[in-house]
Amino acid sequence: MNLSLSPLVELLFFPGGLVLLASGLVYEFVDRKLVARFQNRIGPRWFQPLADVIKLLAKEEVIPAGVVKGLFIFLPIVALTSILTAALYVPMFGLKPAFSFPGDLVVTVYLLSLMTLCIGLAGANTEDRFSLVGATRALTQMFSYEAPFLLALLGPAIALGTWNIGQINSAAGNNLWFIIAQPFGFIAAVIGLMGKLELPPFDAPEAETEIVAGALTEYSGRGLALFRIGRDVELVIGLTLIASFYLGGLANPLDFLWKTLILLLVTAALQSLFARLRIDQTVGLWWRIGSIMVLLQLLAVVVGRLIAPLIPFLSSGG
Amino acid sequence: MTTPMVGVIEKVKTWARVNSPWVIHFNSGSCNGCDIEILATLTPRYDVERFGIKLQGSPRHADVLICTGPVTLQARDRLVRVYEQMPEPKFVVAVGSCGISSGVFQGCYNVVGNIGDVIPVNVYVPGCPPRPEAIIYGVVQLLKSLQN
Repeated sequence: MNLSLSPLVELLFFPGGLVLLASGLVYEFVDRKLVARFQNRIGPRWFQPLADVIKLLAKEEVIPAGVVKGLFIFLPIVALTSILTAALYVPMFGLKPAFSFPGDLVVTVYLLSLMTLCIGLAGANTEDRFSLVGATRALTQMFSYEAPFLLALLGPAIALGTWNIGQINSAAGNNLWFIIAQPFGFIAAVIGLMGKLELPPFDAPEAETEIVAGALTEYSGRGLALFRIGRDVELVIGLTLIASFYLGGLANPLDFLWKTLILLLVTAALQSLFARLRIDQTVGLWWRIGSIMVLLQLLAVVVGRLIAPLIPFLSSGG
Repeated sequence: MTTPMVGVIEKVKTWARVNSPWVIHFNSGSCNGCDIEILATLTPRYDVERFGIKLQGSPRHADVLICTGPVTLQARDRLVRVYEQMPEPKFVVAVGSCGISSGVFQGCYNVVGNIGDVIPVNVYVPGCPPRPEAIIYGVVQLLKSLQN
């Protein structure tokens, strides 16, 4: 789809800004409802995430003793801003990205990681021991999933010979779906996304049975609300990225809807199936299995690209 | 800002508060009977997420403090501290007979009194221990009182 809107409208309402925030809340609701149904519960009502966010925004924000005040206030803003910025380079809702330049894949992945970095800093900023442990775990987890996740996204990029998300999105639709061509990459990307969002089984950084609420223990009111919206929007962006890379691209809003919802169904099922991993198990899983799997995949892709011109039958894919 | 605007904003705030009460659970010296019932309330069978009720680990995230038991000398400072850590607006539900009157522990050498003696309580849920339905009913009464 090739709509041209004025940049201001694009930024404030669609596809950035308000519509993006709203879609984040909707996807959080779908996720929570699916998990509830898998657990044989009725689950939350459709407006639940909205009520949560408004309530948090209306609450008092306690600034605990011993924190750097400026950092405490600005970190949630930086986190949400980086996530919203990342959305501009991603084909949200199946429309073409609002902005793009060669190599915006790397920038987008870094903008998405900024959220975790902010959570880590927010935890390290407070004197609370639970926040500190949570921050350590969040950053440790980031160092473990980041490499496999990036490599998993690089697979299609290298196969298609472009690091521009918009071009990958449109080219992925013309090829064999990458979930079939590069299954390991797909698995690593989905699991990497779950680690990024600290969803169970990778919720050791915010394990409430051990360390209260992890890095965000001391946050209340506005800060917590911004972090929550940020995570919801990150979920939508992550699903969009994976769907556009591995599920044959997003050509229109309908395409976006069913592909991301199927991915969400998969992640919700994984969330209800597995119990929480210890942080060392998480790191081990990604470095021992995940990254090696993805590296082999990447090697195969590179070799394939070198060999492909020699074999006329395969060259249509590369 | 005009008055009708403020009214609408207040209405939205109240709506959000009523529909998203996050609770934290604190035992200030009870026999654990009420705590087991509270945990039963949070299980999938009763599924309080239907009403937006979520158990939070951190007092900073919570709106409703669910307390059980009489307040012992040891627990008193902790109870006050947890209450103080919660951001406004905050509410307290005292669950069980001991929270109302110290129950069988009344007059013990180590008991300061009931929960109402230490922090302001919004709703009392009687019972020894109260059933999960009673606890849900108590929280619903609290939410109804917020609406008015």
